[in-house]
Amino acid sequence: MEKAIIGKELVKILGKEKVLVDELDLMYYSYDSSFLTKLEPSNPFAVAMPTSTEEVQQVVRFAWENNINIVPRGAGTGETGGCIAVNGGIVLDLSTWDEIVEIDARNMQVIVRPGVIHANLNDELAKYNLFFPPDPGSSKMCTIGGMVANNASGLRAVKYWATEPYVLGLEVVMPNGDVIITGGMKSRAIKNVSGINLTKFMVGSEGVLGIITRIRLRCFPKPRARGIAMAVFDCLDDAPATVLDVYQAGVLPSGIEILDSSAITAVNEFKPEINLPAAEAILLFEVDGNPPSVDFEGEIIQQIAKKRARSVEWATEEKRMTELWEGRSVTATAAARVRPDGSRIFAGEDISVPLSRVADTLRAIRALGDKYGIKVVNYGHIGDGNVHTAPVINPENPDEVEKVLKMVDEIHLLAIEMGGTTTGEHGVGAVRRPYAEAEHGKAVEYMRKAKEAFDPKGIMNPGKVF
Amino acid sequence: MNFKDLPPIKEQLMKCVRCGKCRSVCPVFAEVKNETAAPRGHVFIVQMLRDDKVEPDHKVYEKLSACLLCENCTVNCPSGIDIHELNAAARAYIYEKNPSLGKELVFDTLWTSPGLLKTSTMLMGGVQKLGLQKLARNIGLTKILPGDLSKAEKMLDSVPSRSARSQLPEVNKAKGEKKYTVGYFLGCGTDLLNPEVALATVNVLTLNGCEVIIPRESKCCGLPHIANGKLETARRLAAHNIKIFNSYEFDYFITDCASCSSALSRKNMEFLFKGLKIEDTAYAFAEKVMDLTVFLVDVLKIEMDGDNLSEKRRVTYHDPCHLANAQGIKSQPRELLQRIPGIELVEMKNANTCCGGSGTYSVTHYDMSMKILDKKMDNAMETGADMIATCCPSCMMQLRYGTQRHKWNCRVIHPVQLINDFYLHKPAKTAGE
Repeated sequence: MEKAIIGKELVKILGKEKVLVDELDLMYYSYDSSFLTKLEPSNPFAVAMPTSTEEVQQVVRFAWENNINIVPRGAGTGETGGCIAVNGGIVLDLSTWDEIVEIDARNMQVIVRPGVIHANLNDELAKYNLFFPPDPGSSKMCTIGGMVANNASGLRAVKYWATEPYVLGLEVVMPNGDVIITGGMKSRAIKNVSGINLTKFMVGSEGVLGIITRIRLRCFPKPRARGIAMAVFDCLDDAPATVLDVYQAGVLPSGIEILDSSAITAVNEFKPEINLPAAEAILLFEVDGNPPSVDFEGEIIQQIAKKRARSVEWATEEKRMTELWEGRSVTATAAARVRPDGSRIFAGEDISVPLSRVADTLRAIRALGDKYGIKVVNYGHIGDGNVHTAPVINPENPDEVEKVLKMVDEIHLLAIEMGGTTTGEHGVGAVRRPYAEAEHGKAVEYMRKAKEAFDPKGIMNPGKVF
Repeated sequence: MNFKDLPPIKEQLMKCVRCGKCRSVCPVFAEVKNETAAPRGHVFIVQMLRDDKVEPDHKVYEKLSACLLCENCTVNCPSGIDIHELNAAARAYIYEKNPSLGKELVFDTLWTSPGLLKTSTMLMGGVQKLGLQKLARNIGLTKILPGDLSKAEKMLDSVPSRSARSQLPEVNKAKGEKKYTVGYFLGCGTDLLNPEVALATVNVLTLNGCEVIIPRESKCCGLPHIANGKLETARRLAAHNIKIFNSYEFDYFITDCASCSSALSRKNMEFLFKGLKIEDTAYAFAEKVMDLTVFLVDVLKIEMDGDNLSEKRRVTYHDPCHLANAQGIKSQPRELLQRIPGIELVEMKNANTCCGGSGTYSVTHYDMSMKILDKKMDNAMETGADMIATCCPSCMMQLRYGTQRHKWNCRVIHPVQLINDFYLHKPAKTAGE
């Protein structure tokens, strides 16, 4: 079907205000945060911005009848090209549908539409002394829909894990236009093992099975206190060893983050007021809970860290904690500061390895950086082995691009070799598909079969995941 | 200088990783809510312009000029990109390829000549009073001006009848012992729309031992030109002003206008002149430029002693983008307000979010400007303040319009006016005296 006709039909369904068809407007939907779309941006045929289940249903039925691809999109902050119409199609921008339907405080849950911004949700929940624990670095811009579709996690996954355990139920518009409710039609139960768990199946499915239009999330009581310990190390190996010792001492921090020497430089360049000391590695431990337990656990962490660290800082003052934590959360893009004529790229950025192999992995990545002559900034969620690697290159220099793509491939293979995975939280999207067989073997065949059962025409976000 | 050779285009364009942080801080995005208003999207389009993948036409200009240039994305960009400069550079590039007569008239002829600008502003005020506005519109006068002028003309309701320049001599002697000779950069907005601010500035400075000279030949700072794609004209204006101010022996160049001080700042001089012959002269000039509030607090260290003032007035402060974002000046205006006896400073929510005025934006994008203004007014009104203080004539005009629009009896003032009011009752006293 011609693009112009697709546009006209969508306008008939949604009205002019909710449809973009102009080529210039469509260019704004040709990218996400991935290096892939930096190299190869890709315009959709049209963008639709539905704000009701019925509107989604009508758009999907139209696409189904006419064999047009559908690509769901949240805030477009992903790093995998997952929300890009790499094979053409209609992008469903769900970020404008940002309604918090109900905060059911008595049942410790909240119901939202996909476009709600993570930070906004937690601001609202805070009024009820509740919170939704997963804490992505992109909290202020990413949507809950995107988090569910990618099973996102973030800085507090050590204690609170990823999005998946919090999703109690979903409303999903299937590729043929059917609407299903997972987790029980009327259920407000927290525990529920009735039926095959389609909720779990949908979470992290990256838009290849259906469109998530309503999300029922479990909330936790908001901890009353927090504290952050910063430990500074002159030897890289001391950092993971300290993490293991903290666990052994019976402490489960909410987050444990690592910054290597290059990441420290980048953070200081971006926010000089944070003033991190120069070192081989810095660990940030966040503990939360009730005030006595925070003090108690903070004390244990300090004692353990002091055995190896050059210095340990313990902060409970809000301003300093915010600085330290923000310093870490901005590392993702601030990494570019280590090279005046460079840019951080999002590629090979999300490997996850066993805790026992973190130090080896970091060393191996440094060696790869040396091999290819590329500056690499390393940081990440060391508490769960999720290492974020930030190559800093001039993305407009073809030689550097060629080299970095080779290096990224080696990083992905390294992760699998270490007994880990190519992606801990960002997802597969279009960029990590080539590793599906290596990671999953025969299981990929069953993933494909499952996809066919949901989406026999293959219109849902093709070119992604496997 | 060629668009593709401009430093931000050459050095910064490739740094954008499209992380989307700018989505969360952009006042226009907060209204439009889809990616076509995202600053990172504009950066992408600028890249496409550079690479000749989109035509530098009117449609692209429209998209890019929907941005306020409030710089909130710039200060929050983790990759350190001057997003507003990329946007402004692209506007100039598109304008070069598509010159328009209306713009030539407004920005090259009118706005580069203080005399003509004054006449036309006064005329605007006169037209309003005589009821000829409709006539002006009917004969198409308003059509050659940019944007939604027909909607925005009611904002010019209260154009004063006398400019500041016509009320102030060129040389204003220090009262008492002379400490500094300062060149007062009297911007168009203060001169024509808020002459009472200029009178207060001169009075407060002279009372504090400054000889204040207002060079007659100085022209517009060029910021409206940058915003409207007239980069070359902005360069000419800046070069002219540098020459004029350098011909005097000034200790400081002072301005009470946030936009002017940002236009004359080192950062903006880099944007205009980096790599050109005039570069070093421009930077040396910028070293001496200082916002009035910074000068009063950090250099003159003024103190106001008013123990027997019983009446308390609540004042809330709005951060002009060109002061808070462009220059990082947030504490001095607040510090000044707190030093004025009888003033209680009450912070509004999101004090540093743009008011939607942004120079000519309220004229060129009236509807969007009003949406942003309404949010600002909600936050301001929540404080229950008697006055809104701010350091920018464009913000003052916009906020004043906001108080009318919301039928709120609240005075909009520059902090220097409150200091001047105080001096009318008490003599000046500086630190160390």
